[in-house]
Amino acid sequence: MDDFMSEDKVGCSVETVIGENSYKHGRVNQWTTSVVEQCLIQLSKLDKPFKFIVNCIIMQKNGAGLQTASTCFWDNNTDGSCTVRWENDTMYVIISVFGLAI
Amino acid sequence: VDLLLMFCDVFQGSFNSEEAENVVKESVLGGDDYSQTHVNKWTAAIVERCLTQLVKLNKPYKYIVTCSVMQKTGAGLHTANSCFWDTSMDGSCTVRWENRTMYCVVSVFAVCIA
Repeated sequence: MDDFMSEDKVGCSVETVIGENSYKHGRVNQWTTSVVEQCLIQLSKLDKPFKFIVNCIIMQKNGAGLQTASTCFWDNNTDGSCTVRWENDTMYVIISVFGLAI
Repeated sequence: VDLLLMFCDVFQGSFNSEEAENVVKESVLGGDDYSQTHVNKWTAAIVERCLTQLVKLNKPYKYIVTCSVMQKTGAGLHTANSCFWDTSMDGSCTVRWENRTMYCVVSVFAVCIA
């Protein structure tokens, strides 16, 4: 799965959707939805025999601490994940992609 | 430190997230304040315990458990998931928990092994 997993693709999706926008409570819902959708579309276009889970977290920058963890019970030979961290002046974005072989 | 325990019950071959939510047991993490030195341990322990319970169910599923803990300072936090899978067999469940000083969001994804 790591063969085609590209952090650039994920980073691109976020850049396209959010770019230089400032954190806005009214828009963040739309952004998280668009980011996960874009990522999932890119992944499904690859046409590989995988199921995908895309998770996106957007947090406003105001000094709060944030910790995330994940653990997986799967087949180490065929399954994998990738986490991308992106930020601009007003927010942090963390995207995790999990791919499970069918 | 006690932890948030989640028991997800897999029901008749497909994942039933309603049942999963009903079985959430809240623990005495309620007394602890957000601590940067401890939060790493907490998140790791939470996901491990959840996964262990899920694996014990002995069902033909692969599992992914994620946990986010955020300090309460007024910042906005938003999370979203999207999944490309078999909607009849696979499922997920997200539980949100909080105390005076922090928020905790735990998500479980169960993917059927064909």
